[in-house]
Amino acid sequence: MSVETAKVISVIQGEFAVSADPTACMSTVLGSCIAACLYDPTNKVGGMNHFLLPEARNGDSQHVKYGAHLMELLINDLLKMGAQRDRLRVKLAGGGKMSQFLGSVGEKNIEFVQKYLANEGIPIDWQSLGGRQARRIHFYPTTGRLTEKFVQAPKGIEASEKGARAPRRPASSGVELF
Amino acid sequence: MALKDNLKVLVVDDMPTSRGLIVQALEEMKVWNNSTENNGQTAMERLAKEPAHLILSDMNMPVMDGLELLRNLRANRATKGVGFILITGKPTPDLVAKGRSLGMNNMIKKPFTTPQLKACIEQVVGPLG
Repeated sequence: MSVETAKVISVIQGEFAVSADPTACMSTVLGSCIAACLYDPTNKVGGMNHFLLPEARNGDSQHVKYGAHLMELLINDLLKMGAQRDRLRVKLAGGGKMSQFLGSVGEKNIEFVQKYLANEGIPIDWQSLGGRQARRIHFYPTTGRLTEKFVQAPKGIEASEKGARAPRRPASSGVELF
Repeated sequence: MALKDNLKVLVVDDMPTSRGLIVQALEEMKVWNNSTENNGQTAMERLAKEPAHLILSDMNMPVMDGLELLRNLRANRATKGVGFILITGKPTPDLVAKGRSLGMNNMIKKPFTTPQLKACIEQVVGPLG
């Protein structure tokens, strides 16, 4: 199954999707946001969310409550579609630092999602987190296959990163992961 | 002695993170006498040995969900008077109607803040003090 022949489901920020359709492919572009791609490889059902938690003030756990809620919505729908809780696995992408003006919001999101998954006992099969580039990912929910491609950040964001830019991979480089 | 010092709460949720967040919110209210279970069935088993004043239960759980727990609580002489607050991410009109008909005391939508949960609890049990 390739992106050209798959039924592509676009998952935008704040949304999530689940599917048991072997021809489905979930797609999203991530900057500071994170996508958690969860799947049950035995029952062949999976889903993706796409979230960005607001930066927390000191001692404020509201962002954790919000994040936990978003993860739970996805997990609940997966369970309703036949996934089994103890078989769930996850692949993670995103959490980039897209601009020096955005502070550590990406890092906070990474910290949240890793802590959440450890707490829930959901093993992370693969992750591509942090960095300074945007990513496009394609996730095949019934097999858990995921492809990632780094993409050029919008011009305005690049300009603000001058002087502190990590080496970039060519925009065309694509990594395929299984 | 204030109500918060005596109140015994049972938190029922299958997600460890959610359980932890609810207990954390209760502790922020200085309600310390809390226990947790991960589904309706284990909650019923615990209540048979260890009564509580108030149940804070998630809706979607394996084995026995929140509404089924409520139905069991109201059908059991020892637990029919216990306070019951349903916690849900999707409070559909149908769910609200079912919960009301089964005798839930209140409902709160996730995600919620600690003051919102406190207000919801106080509507059921009175001022925590």
